[in-house]
Formats: sequence, structure tokens, C-alpha cells
Amino acid sequence: MSDPRALRALSARVLNFGRTALRGLRASPLTSLVAVLTITVTLVLAGAFALVVKNMQGLLGRIGEDVTVTAYLEDGLADQERAALEARVKSVEGVQEVVSVSKDEARRRFERAGQGRADLLQALGENPLPASLEILLAPDRRNAEGVRIVVESLQGLPGIAELANAQDWVQGYAGALSLLRAVGAGLGIVLALATLLIVSNTIRLAVYARRDEIEILTLVGASRTFVAIPFLLEGVLQGALGGALAVVGLAGLYRLALPSLASALTLVFGDTPPAFFAPSEMLVLIAVGALLGVVSSGASLAGGLRQ
Amino acid sequence: MRSGSRDAESTGGRDAALVRLYHVSKSYLAGTWALHDITLEIGKGEFVFLTGPSGAGKTSLLRLIFAAERPSDGQILILGRNVGRARESAIPPLRRRIGVVFQDFKLLPRRTVEENVKLALDVVGTPAREARARTFAILKQVGLQHRRHHHPLSLSGGEQQRIAIARALVNEPELLLADEPTGNLDPEMALEILELISGAAARGTTVLVATHDQTILRRYRRRTLRLEGGRLVEDTPAPGSRP
Repeated sequence: MSDPRALRALSARVLNFGRTALRGLRASPLTSLVAVLTITVTLVLAGAFALVVKNMQGLLGRIGEDVTVTAYLEDGLADQERAALEARVKSVEGVQEVVSVSKDEARRRFERAGQGRADLLQALGENPLPASLEILLAPDRRNAEGVRIVVESLQGLPGIAELANAQDWVQGYAGALSLLRAVGAGLGIVLALATLLIVSNTIRLAVYARRDEIEILTLVGASRTFVAIPFLLEGVLQGALGGALAVVGLAGLYRLALPSLASALTLVFGDTPPAFFAPSEMLVLIAVGALLGVVSSGASLAGGLRQ
Repeated sequence: MRSGSRDAESTGGRDAALVRLYHVSKSYLAGTWALHDITLEIGKGEFVFLTGPSGAGKTSLLRLIFAAERPSDGQILILGRNVGRARESAIPPLRRRIGVVFQDFKLLPRRTVEENVKLALDVVGTPAREARARTFAILKQVGLQHRRHHHPLSLSGGEQQRIAIARALVNEPELLLADEPTGNLDPEMALEILELISGAAARGTTVLVATHDQTILRRYRRRTLRLEGGRLVEDTPAPGSRP
């Protein structure tokens, strides 16, 4: 390919393919629009699903980072017994750190968090809050299974009145996320197949409309590849444009819908506001659009060029 | 255009045959023959007419020669290649060495005259500047350089056929096929078109023209193949040529 003439021939071909593809798009604007919008709608639906899954997964990750088990201690435990229990808990496999919270510290925390409800405790007179040990798990145990193993090891230790953890919640949330991911993947596959079918038939109309051009190109010695490449390029362009429009559409929906759905989203995503796609993820969405476009074109040509 | 022209008829050009058919038959429907047992050779540089009534098989024969169809029986060698047995991928390179002109011109109405002609150069990846220069040269040769930015439908039938001839010749083909190239034209235009084709033959291109126009046959007096009912019934050499 170092031969300058071969290089010039190659660049002439590439330019020619590009020009032919753009000419094709201009020649059948309605067909192109239908293909672009079909891909856009599919990617908006699939993208919205991906956005929900991404944020739920983010929340699960954040929860995982500070998964703790709280061991509430029996009242009247002597300092020596408490220190021994703390040492025993620290020795359990999977425990990274143990923070001892006294009854007074628990009260101060309640007052700080209660903001104006401190009078509730004062009304009771005696401090009803138990002392506790806050147990932080090792990073590799910060999941539902890790929590379960540590809790089982701690259960029945003398001095512990009750163990509290978010194991059930984490498990339920992770289950919901897996379900959503599976539904999303299923929906994505169905949508992608429907899109391929619609777009490939749409492009087939464009191929049919240009059958004279294909015939003439074939007569002057064009290979199947030469005839096919501009159509495939058109598919890539239509798909990428559909993907870009889907990103814009999702961003618009995200901005418009976020304020009115804020309270509902708090239930699903917690206090952290939901995040939009990162630039690299937007590029992936555009690339998926381009892929849908080129596969649709390929499928339509498989039938069209045989004629 | 290729230099080194020669008069094949007077030099026994059939020795270096570009087109060879051996007992070729073509059937589209079982039991009926569009072409039956055709054997012929066309030598390098020859200018040959293919004639016969409508439905005689002229178009079918041309389609076999430029490999748009495969024979049902027999062997076809075009430019040294057996097109009946050639792989599909071998057909496009072969077609780039053959120029074809049709009665209905087969031009792209949305492309300019220049773009229509350049199509044949785009296919072989001719660099843009060279393609423009060659397109201009061939359009000048057919007298249409001043119309290069027009669209075909704004031109007359004769001019459209001249574009088709320019497209067929721009790649300097070894073989030029024309299927009723004057069928849609008035007699004056028809002669203009035949002059262009004859000029290509004079420059060394092997030419096969299918026509049933007796005026043209009488005027040009070249070797004439006559088909009837799918059979080759006559092969009349050009007057003055050696048998």
C-alpha cells in the first residue's frame, strides 16, 4: 500500500463511498428519517432502563461501602466485660473495625439527629438507649453474604442483646436490581430485534428505490462490496444520528422529569440524586445506534443485492 | 484512447479472438431455447453487427458475453476467461474491460453528465483529478463537454446515448457491446451514434453492435451475424475481408 497510485486510488474510493452515502441519505430523506427515529425511540427506551439500572447499581455500591453490623449490648455490662466482648468481636473473621458507642454517646447522637426531639428522652428520665458496638466489615465481606456470615459468628455471644444489619434490605434491593437488569436485557433484545426488522425493511425500500443505480454500477464492473459499502455507511450514519438524538432526548427527559419525580426517586435511589450517563456511556449509546444501523443495512442488502 | 489501431477484418483478426462461443445454449424456461447451439469467434479489433428480428436472441447473446447471465450449455470465453465457470468475484474485473451501451441509455437521472460518465472510473478507484480529466476528454470526444454539468433528462435522446457511449469508453475497454444503441433515435442521430462507435473500433476496440436497422447494416457493411429463433443462421464477412 506504499505505492502512491494505490494510495490515491484507495483515498478516491473512500471519498467516493462517503459522497455516495451522503447522496443516498439526501435522495431518500423520508426513509432515512424513519430509520433514524426508529433507532432513536429504541435507544431512548433502552437508555432509560440502563439509566435506572446504573443508578440502582450505584446506590448498591455506595451502601456496600459502609455496610456495618450493629451489636446492641445488654444493659449493666461491666467495662471489663465490654472490652472483652469488643476484643472477641474484633477477632471474628471478616470484621475490619469495631467502634464502641457508649449509652451517653448514643444519647448525644440521638439528640443531634433528632433536632428538637431531645425532649423525648428527657421526658423518659433515664437514658433508654443501649450501648453498642458498630462493626465495619472487611471490603471483601461488604455484601449480603458477608453480612450473613459475620452475623452468624456473632450470634449468641454473651453480652450482645440484639444484632442489627441491613442484610435483608441489601439482599432485597440487589434482587430487585438483578430482576430489573434481566427485564432490561430482555426488553433490549426485543427492542433491538424489532428495530432491526423495521430499519432493515426501511433501508430495503431505499435499496429498491436505487435499484437502477445498483444495476448500472454492476454493469460498469462494481463488485458487491463496492455497491454495498455506501449503504452500510448510510446505516452507520443513520444509527449514530439515532443514538445521538437518543442521548439528547434522554438528557432532556432527565432534566424535565427529575424535579417532579424527586420524592419517588429518593425511595429508589436514596438521598443521592440520580446521575446521568458519563460521556463515555453516551458514546457507547451512539455506538450501539451505529451498530444497529449497520446490521440493519447489512440485513437489507443481503436480500437486495441478490436481485 | 488506446493507440495502435488496426483493421482486423483485413488482417485476419479472428486469430486473436476476444470472444469465443462453443455450442452455447441458453434456456430461461425448460424446453424453450433463447439461444441454441451458437458457435462463433470475434477477433481482436473486429467491428461486428449482430442482427435478426425481435426475439431472435440478440440481447440474450450480449448478456451472456458481458456475464449478466450464464449459459445453460456450452462454453463462453471472453477476454480469455471462461465466464460460464468463473467465480462471481471474477465477473466485476471482467466487466471493467467491457463497455456496454443500451437502447435505453441506463443513465442516472439525478447525477450530472460528468458524474454519470465518471461512474465507470469511480468503480476502479481512479483518483479524482485524473478521473475529471479523462471524463472531460471523453465528453469532448463525443461532443458533450459543454453539457457536463447538465442532468441527462434535460438532454436529447441522441445526447443521452452519447453520454452512455462516453461512459462505456472512458475506461478504454477492450470490448464494446451495444444493444440496439440507435433504437430510440431518429435516423440522423442514429448515424451520429454509429460514427462514434465506429471511431472506437477504428482506434482498436473490438465492437459488437446488436441492431435490426437495415440502413445501418447497409451503410457500414461489416461482418454481420444473423440470429433467428435463437440460432446463428448467417455469418457474413465484411466485403473485401478474407474468409
